[in-house]
Amino acid sequence: MEGRAFTPILKKIIPVLITIVIVAWLYKIYGAWAYTVKNLAEFFRLTWEHLVLVVVSMVAAVTVGVGLGTLMTRKGFDRLSPAIMGVVNVWQSFPSLGVIALAYGFLPLLGLSGIGAVPALIALFFTAVAPIVRNTYAGIDAVSNDVIEAATGMGMNPKQILFRIELPNALPVIMGGIRTSTALIVGTAPLAFLIGGGGLGFWIFTGIALMDMGIMIAGAVPVALIAMVADFALARTEKIVVSRGIQAEEYQVAI
Amino acid sequence: MNIMLKLENVTKIYPGAEHIKAVDDLSFDLSEGEICTVVGPSGCGKTTAMKMINRLIPMTSGKIYIDGQNINRLDTIELRRNIGYVIQNIGLFPNMTIAENIAVVPKMKGWDKDRITERAESLLELINLAPEEFMDRYPRELSGGQQQRIGVARAMAADPPIMLMDEPFGAIDPINREHLQNEFLRIQERVKKTIVFVTHDIDEAIKMGDKICLLKAGKLVQFDGPEKMLTEPANDFVRDFLGGDRTLKRLNLLKLKAAMKPDPPVIMQGESPEKAKAMLTELKVDNLIVVDAEKRLLGYVNHEALQKDVDEVRKVTRPTDCFLPASSSLKDGLSEIFTHDLGYLIVVDDDKKVIGILDTEDIRGILRR
Repeated sequence: MEGRAFTPILKKIIPVLITIVIVAWLYKIYGAWAYTVKNLAEFFRLTWEHLVLVVVSMVAAVTVGVGLGTLMTRKGFDRLSPAIMGVVNVWQSFPSLGVIALAYGFLPLLGLSGIGAVPALIALFFTAVAPIVRNTYAGIDAVSNDVIEAATGMGMNPKQILFRIELPNALPVIMGGIRTSTALIVGTAPLAFLIGGGGLGFWIFTGIALMDMGIMIAGAVPVALIAMVADFALARTEKIVVSRGIQAEEYQVAI
Repeated sequence: MNIMLKLENVTKIYPGAEHIKAVDDLSFDLSEGEICTVVGPSGCGKTTAMKMINRLIPMTSGKIYIDGQNINRLDTIELRRNIGYVIQNIGLFPNMTIAENIAVVPKMKGWDKDRITERAESLLELINLAPEEFMDRYPRELSGGQQQRIGVARAMAADPPIMLMDEPFGAIDPINREHLQNEFLRIQERVKKTIVFVTHDIDEAIKMGDKICLLKAGKLVQFDGPEKMLTEPANDFVRDFLGGDRTLKRLNLLKLKAAMKPDPPVIMQGESPEKAKAMLTELKVDNLIVVDAEKRLLGYVNHEALQKDVDEVRKVTRPTDCFLPASSSLKDGLSEIFTHDLGYLIVVDDDKKVIGILDTEDIRGILRR
């Protein structure tokens, strides 16, 4: 029993340890560590900007995405949903760099600035919202008709069915969409620098421009760390908020 | 008896199919505590008829009364919370534990926590699942049969006077289905709900129903108790639907008690073989049932056994398995008769006291009636 429980943990920890060792080594030999320490204040400012870009765009994307995805499953709106899904699917195949460029080119047409944190946030939001809309819609749509019929027949009203049955049962799929979006956004956020959105992209692109690996790594590694921490945090959240009755089998307690 | 459910000229026409009446002028009364099985060929409107009772499907015209109240005057949500509902594919909520599934309706009705827990425990005991083992498990951890039992328990949670069951055992394998049917009848003995039970299986309809409602193309063809329907089918359609073996189906329905010859001749274990021989000759039978002082079955003796020189019949009594309790069906009885060489079946009560015998002539007699 102990052996079996122990192996998966080892399997997870060993790659993480190897990665940390390699990254630390790169950090040291290219002088990224020295650069970071020297520019500590700027490091914190860029990290803070980066986190704001990620968190704000994600919060907006989750709110709008889950809302729209849910609305698409409601009676009356469900006729529009194939059209919306079509748009969302095309949108999702759009490269994120293209979305950033679109924000830069398109916002001035609306009389807004194409430069700065706001256009960057708008671009990131549009990148993040697609997987969430898609998964919310698919997740709720996949809840078995039998379950809905039983709930209706037992006298639940539409609101109770949504909040007690549909959303809880769609949650693993919705969480999957949120994790996809988060990974996408953390990776896209450095591009915000290109339209003056700030963040750790500043060091990455400066390093590339100066062909200085140290500066580039000093920007890239924190971005990767944020991605890992965010994914880990979301995985933990999923384990807490998703009912044990519908979690993936690996979490299931042996019977 | 009090009429619990009354359908009055209920008709359903689906929009877009105006020329077809899915349910056509259906009327029947159901007394409190009765099970009405609704049966018919697929597409006959049986599920539609049932779903109009909890207004999952709105009726086109007609009236339905529950305990004298017109259901169209009641709030839909309130109406449904007072009707137990079981569907074929069970529809347990996978995100909730068994206890939470059972608690859904009581919770909506505002019961307090202790009362809900108590209720869930007693329901699990009723369906023979240990509460401490099942309360906190999730639906996917249960077998299909267990899930369907939880489905029934969930429907009974708030103690609704009426239950609707839509092919509840249809997706269960035959062996478990029979088990669940028997268990459900046993539970019904105790809870005495008024039940509308939709099925496509005529054998199930006969077994479960106090009344059978046979539909064809939305129209009521016959509404009767199973015995009456089997003996007096209203027309050829009913006769065909019941099947060529409808006489044999009655074997399943009738109990040994109804067909047996009561108080058969028996001999006490302490009597002498001479008396036994005399009785055999006098009664012109091949064997004689031997009982103890309380009339409990011990076995039988025949001429061959009585050849031995003993002082009491007890010493030459041969044991037999050819007996059944009086509550068994004629079908089981007939099977026993053919399995053993006795030539007849001994009918006993719960204490194994001999109360009658039954042979194939008795069965023929009651089927002819």
